[in-house]
Amino acid sequence: MIGISNLQYKLGGKSILEDINLEIPDGEFVAIIGPNGAGKSTLIKLILGLYDLQEGEIIIDGITQTAWLKANSFGYLPQHEEFDRSFPATALDIALMGLAGRIPLAARLKASHRTEAMAALEQTGVAHHAKDLIGKLSGGEFQRVLLARAIVGGSTYLILDEPEASLDRPSVESFFALLKNLNEAGHTIITISHDLNILSEYCSFLVCLNRRLHCHNHTELVTSEIIHKTFGDSVRIIEKDY
Amino acid sequence: MFKYHFMLNALFGSLLSGLSLAIFAPYVTLRRISYMGEALSHIAFAGIAIAILFGLNLTFSTLIFVILISLAIGAISRRHKLQEANTISIFLSVSMALGIILISVSKNYSFDLASYLFGNVLLITGSELYSLIILNILNLTFVLVFYKELFYLTYNAEMAKVFRIRTGLVNQIFLILLAANIVINLKSAGIILVTAQLILPAVIAFNFVHTLHRAIIVSAIVAFLSAFIGFYLSFNLNLPTGATIVLFEALIYFLSLSFRGKNNA
Repeated sequence: MIGISNLQYKLGGKSILEDINLEIPDGEFVAIIGPNGAGKSTLIKLILGLYDLQEGEIIIDGITQTAWLKANSFGYLPQHEEFDRSFPATALDIALMGLAGRIPLAARLKASHRTEAMAALEQTGVAHHAKDLIGKLSGGEFQRVLLARAIVGGSTYLILDEPEASLDRPSVESFFALLKNLNEAGHTIITISHDLNILSEYCSFLVCLNRRLHCHNHTELVTSEIIHKTFGDSVRIIEKDY
Repeated sequence: MFKYHFMLNALFGSLLSGLSLAIFAPYVTLRRISYMGEALSHIAFAGIAIAILFGLNLTFSTLIFVILISLAIGAISRRHKLQEANTISIFLSVSMALGIILISVSKNYSFDLASYLFGNVLLITGSELYSLIILNILNLTFVLVFYKELFYLTYNAEMAKVFRIRTGLVNQIFLILLAANIVINLKSAGIILVTAQLILPAVIAFNFVHTLHRAIIVSAIVAFLSAFIGFYLSFNLNLPTGATIVLFEALIYFLSLSFRGKNNA
């Protein structure tokens, strides 16, 4: 379980997140929704430990985030992975990255690690691309390679930053179906999403964020009024879904 | 050609110099920090001037100076949220200006600015050859031992952190070793050749091969061949060695572009 209490975050004097108190129960498929600039990416980067906490506390599995991160890592899929298209890495190299942190400094990757990484690529449906250079993969294929990297380390938590952004419509459906399978297999999934239609189908828990927390509850308990309050008047399409 | 002992030293110097930089070149080009090579070699100029003014050991004091400045660049960029490229440009100009003023103050007219730009491999000494041999051993050991960490650090440092790959220490050693390579090669190779050897062998290699370890090997072979043929040509045509090696390497680069087209087709 991830518990966040009294979290505040400022950047250049501007408040990005205020007064966040949130509990994410194990086994949920969580969607963080909110308008642009709501602080969604900042929130997950704070959970991941990529940004330093300024105020407040994050407790993971009963221990502080700092202590947890010393022995564990999150499965993370960033919105946009900065990399050189000509970088000489294969899909298998990228999947192995999810295991490399478990191996001591200066030690080599072994055949057993490759087998594990291949199994993860198999699970996300891109094992046949294992030897392909990442620059040659389509957006959807690369996304599945990144998902393999996120799950291969065995982390129970999968954190995704708007995975649908680089996918076309049919790929979004199949990608979320894949996430649903992983969720059913025991992963707690936390994803930022803009696609309100898909959320009602796949997500079990909604976090509505607009600098402050507007709600965090099971999807069926979140009303359209709350969504409106989170987004302001810019969203009108969600009544039929919620 | 080799009836003089110094010619043999010069040839070995060119080969070892090319080899040492070529092993780093694939990392430097993939991380897009080739400007670091240029900047650090300019910054070394101020270090050389300080060493001349105070009569210090040239290589050692310049190396300390360059490492201190590169650490300062990192610290200032982080604290003041400046882009690292901007901070480096500032330090580059300040160091060059400082170097020129110090040289003029020390009234050391024997210092030749042109040899600093292009180096003079014919003046290489036996002890400098030994430093180049040790440098090559250090480089190879570093790249072999930390291959995995260097690979993922080069791919994406932030994601390496997420997956708890210990890249912090490896990155520090990388930068210190890069500074050492630049400073130690500066006297024989000069700014122009050091900068070229940190880019050209790697971009040529990536036109032929698509894995990092192969790129390192090809980069080393290209640098070795260019140094050998460049040296031979410069001797026979009576041309400056460093500049001839750069031009020869540039020629291979343009020829290799046609292979790149075929590979991508």
